[in-house]
Amino acid sequence: MSAPSLASYIVKRPWLKSWLTPLSHWYTDAAGYRRLGLKFDDLIPEESENVQKAIKRLPAKEAYDRVFRIRRAFQCSISHTLLPAHEQTKPSEDVEYLSPIIREVEKEAKERADLDNLVVRK
Amino acid sequence: MLSRSSLSRNAPRAFAAGRRSMASAASPAFQYDVSEASGVKVANREVEGPTGTLALVAKAGSRYQPFPGFSDALDRFAFKTTLKRSALRITRETELLGGEISSTHSRENIVLRTKFLSKDLPYFTELLAEVATQSKFADHELNEVVRNLLKYKQQAVHSNPETVAVDAAHGVAFHRGLGASITPSETSPYEKYISSDALAEFAQSAYSKSNIALVASGPNSAELSKWVGQFFKDTPTGNASSKYNVLPSVASKYYGGEQRIASKIGNAVVIAFPGSSAFGTAGYKAEASVLAALLGGESTIKWTPGFSLLSQATKGFNQLRVSTQNNAYSDAGLFTVTLSGQADQVGAASKNVVDALKKAAAGEVASEDIKKAIALAKFRALESVQTLETGLEATGSGLVHGNKPYQINEIAQALEKVSEQQVKEVANAFLTGKATLVSVGDIHQLPFAEDIGLTV
Repeated sequence: MSAPSLASYIVKRPWLKSWLTPLSHWYTDAAGYRRLGLKFDDLIPEESENVQKAIKRLPAKEAYDRVFRIRRAFQCSISHTLLPAHEQTKPSEDVEYLSPIIREVEKEAKERADLDNLVVRK
Repeated sequence: MLSRSSLSRNAPRAFAAGRRSMASAASPAFQYDVSEASGVKVANREVEGPTGTLALVAKAGSRYQPFPGFSDALDRFAFKTTLKRSALRITRETELLGGEISSTHSRENIVLRTKFLSKDLPYFTELLAEVATQSKFADHELNEVVRNLLKYKQQAVHSNPETVAVDAAHGVAFHRGLGASITPSETSPYEKYISSDALAEFAQSAYSKSNIALVASGPNSAELSKWVGQFFKDTPTGNASSKYNVLPSVASKYYGGEQRIASKIGNAVVIAFPGSSAFGTAGYKAEASVLAALLGGESTIKWTPGFSLLSQATKGFNQLRVSTQNNAYSDAGLFTVTLSGQADQVGAASKNVVDALKKAAAGEVASEDIKKAIALAKFRALESVQTLETGLEATGSGLVHGNKPYQINEIAQALEKVSEQQVKEVANAFLTGKATLVSVGDIHQLPFAEDIGLTV
């Protein structure tokens, strides 16, 4: 979750944002994961403690849906097919569902580290 | 060297000074002064010293919980993540200040307790206000921490035959309300009721202004009411109706009966009668606590069985523990005699308990023993008020239930006035009324009520 990102730089400049937003929509669509019925948060690598903890904290329904999407995508990948158009992820459905929890977990871990290395000055 | 005359001159004076009881008006330090700060009741006693204690007592114990396990879960949720800071930060900050935070619950109250160095009063007042009004009740905290803590608590409570028996005795005696389990049993399906949203709603009504009292020992009254007024002004008044609200107070009714629980954890028998309610309430009977001291069972002095009737009656049983207690609540009480140990001894001794009670009812008790019992009952009552652990909850409970807060001299007077006749009458009332009998353990050996001469 720590790829270098220009997002905050762009968002701060409205003219740049309005210029790049359509481009970003085109780019995410072209990435192709939506045609396998995935959401962007399904692509986050699971192999880290924080993400594992975040996945455990998902509500039951979300966790079930996540596994369902991943298995369906896996099946599509094996059979070299794409989902029919109505089953593909719509841009409106491609929302963050895991990232907020990951950010929260990371914040907790950071707070713990900070407090463990605390220096008290009086 | 002391001359004889100076001794004789000073002795009566020392004696007189010693006799001036601590209950007199000359020592107001043990009395709580009650005030109100931004709608929250505050009881404080100023005690000179470098440390202080502040407790929040909420009328939300198992008696008032809408569903099983709610009080327990709310108790475990104290000092967890709030909207302002995380549980970890609360822990670390308290450590840095050298304070102590804890939470407990009883049948009637949830008590959040803080102890601290006197100068940290504002910090801990703010902390209590934050816990009461801004706790987050995060889903993951419930699942990762609170549920596990609850399970451990259940295991701890239900591996002790005595606590199981006393809990069951309350259930048999009062059915609902006071009869609700203080910690849900391991086999009860309580999990389905508990969710973080439900707990958040329960907390909102449990910690509403009219439902809480703050009790402090140590700090300056003016300072305390200033900080309480500042930090507790946003406490909800709590009138939105919800099915998770604290249950309204319904007058307790005594039923009585018998329950036998087969179990492998050990053997215990509880013989219970309708006792005295807490001091300052209509149902307060000083003679019940005198009878509890008279029956006794546990010695207050090392290496001697003591004067109490039960310790005399059960002298021959070396694998047996007996204790008598008057569990006092705001509008009722349960007088319990608890026996635990080996099944055959518990069975035989429970017959002795009833015989001892019959002796007390017939007045076959030396007046000397009654005097000792009165002294012991007085000591216990006064000590429980003076000791912070019990005194804080008792005072807060009195405030939230709208009764008088504990006043030491009145308790002492009430106990001194108890006569032999009154003790006899209360014992008689126990024997003629409906009793409660709970046996836990090897019920093949433990007796039925009829075997030991009780009517249920």
